[in-house]
Amino acid sequence: MAALPTHIESIHPALWRGSQLARAYGRTVDTGYAALSAELPGGGWPLGALVELLVQQPGIGEMRLMRPALTRVSQRPVVLLQAPHVPNALAFSYLGVPVDKLMWLRASKTADALWCAERVLQAGTCGALLLWQQHIRSEALRRLHLVAQATETLLVLVRPLASAQDASPATLRLGVRPAEGGIAVDIIKRRGPAQTEQLSVTLQPSPILLSSYGRVRRHSLAPAFAGGISTKVVASV
Amino acid sequence: MVLERDKVTVLDAVARDAGVRVGMKRGGVVTLLPDALMFDRSAEREHDMQRDVAMALLRFSPQVAVCEEETIVVELTASLRLFGGILRVCKEVREVVSAIGVTAGMSVAPTGRGAWLLAKAGRRRVLKVQSLERQLGGLPFMVVPELRRFADWFNGLGCSVLSDIQRLPRAGLKKRCGVDLLDSLDRAYGLAPELHEWLELPPTFSARVELPDRVEHAEAILFSARRLVVQLCGWLAAQQLALTHATVTLEHERGRQAIEPTLIDIALAEPTWHEEHLVRLLKERLGRTELQAAVIAVRLTAADVQAAEPPSDTLFPEPGGSAQNHNRLLELLAARLGAENVLRPAPAPDHRPEHANQWVPVQSGSKNGPNGRPKTVSAPDDLPRPTWLLHVPLRLMVKNHRPFYGSPLKLVSTGERIEAGWHDGALVTRDYFVAEADDKSCYWIYRERPSVTSEETRWFLHGLFG
Repeated sequence: MAALPTHIESIHPALWRGSQLARAYGRTVDTGYAALSAELPGGGWPLGALVELLVQQPGIGEMRLMRPALTRVSQRPVVLLQAPHVPNALAFSYLGVPVDKLMWLRASKTADALWCAERVLQAGTCGALLLWQQHIRSEALRRLHLVAQATETLLVLVRPLASAQDASPATLRLGVRPAEGGIAVDIIKRRGPAQTEQLSVTLQPSPILLSSYGRVRRHSLAPAFAGGISTKVVASV
Repeated sequence: MVLERDKVTVLDAVARDAGVRVGMKRGGVVTLLPDALMFDRSAEREHDMQRDVAMALLRFSPQVAVCEEETIVVELTASLRLFGGILRVCKEVREVVSAIGVTAGMSVAPTGRGAWLLAKAGRRRVLKVQSLERQLGGLPFMVVPELRRFADWFNGLGCSVLSDIQRLPRAGLKKRCGVDLLDSLDRAYGLAPELHEWLELPPTFSARVELPDRVEHAEAILFSARRLVVQLCGWLAAQQLALTHATVTLEHERGRQAIEPTLIDIALAEPTWHEEHLVRLLKERLGRTELQAAVIAVRLTAADVQAAEPPSDTLFPEPGGSAQNHNRLLELLAARLGAENVLRPAPAPDHRPEHANQWVPVQSGSKNGPNGRPKTVSAPDDLPRPTWLLHVPLRLMVKNHRPFYGSPLKLVSTGERIEAGWHDGALVTRDYFVAEADDKSCYWIYRERPSVTSEETRWFLHGLFG
């Protein structure tokens, strides 16, 4: 019997050891935050897969977390489906998403919203689809995940943090909490070893621009410490 | 079952099991099956149906002829490569015919008359003249209408199939039976040229179909409406037109007072002639329509058409899908959600955030805008604006002279005074601040200037920094 190769992961690109990060199976788009990218398989948000952002409440920095990725995919339209509040177009153009690429869909029923999400993904003409849902059944999640796999669209599902305990077919699940100067990210699920530490991400741009105090803090990019262990944090400007 | 001159001509399996046979009289049928549904055969409606099918078949070829004895002849030679071979065409023809809601036997032959004869005798497909001759030779001569008059005579001669008749001397046949018979046979065998009366297209399209029963639910109309769409697509394809605007009229049952028919307008941003897209749009629109009364008939009218543009065949297709695909997606979304729920931003130059942040339906702006693009207003570069605006500003509690939302809020920016709207009666006098809660999340709050309405300071939450 031939000996197994020492590097099992060299057999097939889909193989990886439990202690390693998976390699990029499909395409990815850079998160723009180096510390976060380093922790994600393939070094960014996966395209054509379901990504879940579990937020404590809407409006704690989740859009600024997505900002670099959205800017990169915004040659094609960016669809906001069942957004929690009225999206402010000026703020989006400030974040770097062109106003004429934005689209806001309001659906009164969850069934309508999921139907829309499927259609948008099947058409494959949009760069990103951001979907907000409070309660979503696991069949619906699996269906979304399946549709997403045939596309090159960045699909992000924003759900409440409480649903972190529920199982989900998403390839990447991140918990997001507000923190000083940015957010703290828990990696709940990824293709790779479990990450127990929280990751501090300094978000750009900070909302506090008009105060001199805020300006100082904006430019001092001191590494943040989380859980007693320093995590490399570099924010791109 | 269908009766013609009080005799059964068509019957279903249930009737056959009960003992009803073709040619029975009405009285006999009533004795066997008291609750049988009997319809009188209507030649006019049959002809209309035949015309409907012919119209739908126009998508395969511009040369479609409605012939005698419930047959339609389509000249397909020029279309074979476009549709990818005769088998594919046959499959698609069968789909179209079943979408109309009828069944058909189909035959293919190098001559129209030959195909007609084969179709009358059963379903056969021949591509070469030699095999056509062989196949025709085996047919009973009764299928040829011109021969039926002389049936007894031919039987007496011992002829039963067409090849027997072909063997008879032509001169004698011509003398006894006339020129028509020989001409007809020659056309079938490809020895004489054929002349068909091709279907002439009406300059406008408006088709109506009566529903088999009164229908209460809009979704149930879809099957009949699909039949109209199939016809419309045939008509469009033959004229090389694309649809931009169509109207569906649902005619209601006439009760005590006449009810206005329900109109459904279908406006298309991207001109189309695809059946699938139209049916999907119609399905979503019908799903959203509430009927006042039962519907008995549906009419589809092409209100506005324009010349179809052929699809551009680029060597490398765009990975992101074409603009047409995107427009089709938008139409579909608007059909399901309603146009007022598919929005794009149209920022207005105004200091008040809720006025500056305008959203308009995606499909509305393309008409009045100069080049179809919304005007982009560049926002000041370093002005913090929250990603989410609350629909209605939320009044905040004040505790210890500080606004309170979950936890006491700490003001972390200098104020930004927005005072505008004196000209249109929606005056706002607000000082906006960025506030930070205990859990480090940031809010966009404002203080209404006390002098305006009341003496107390009132704080409102207006935005969230997403």
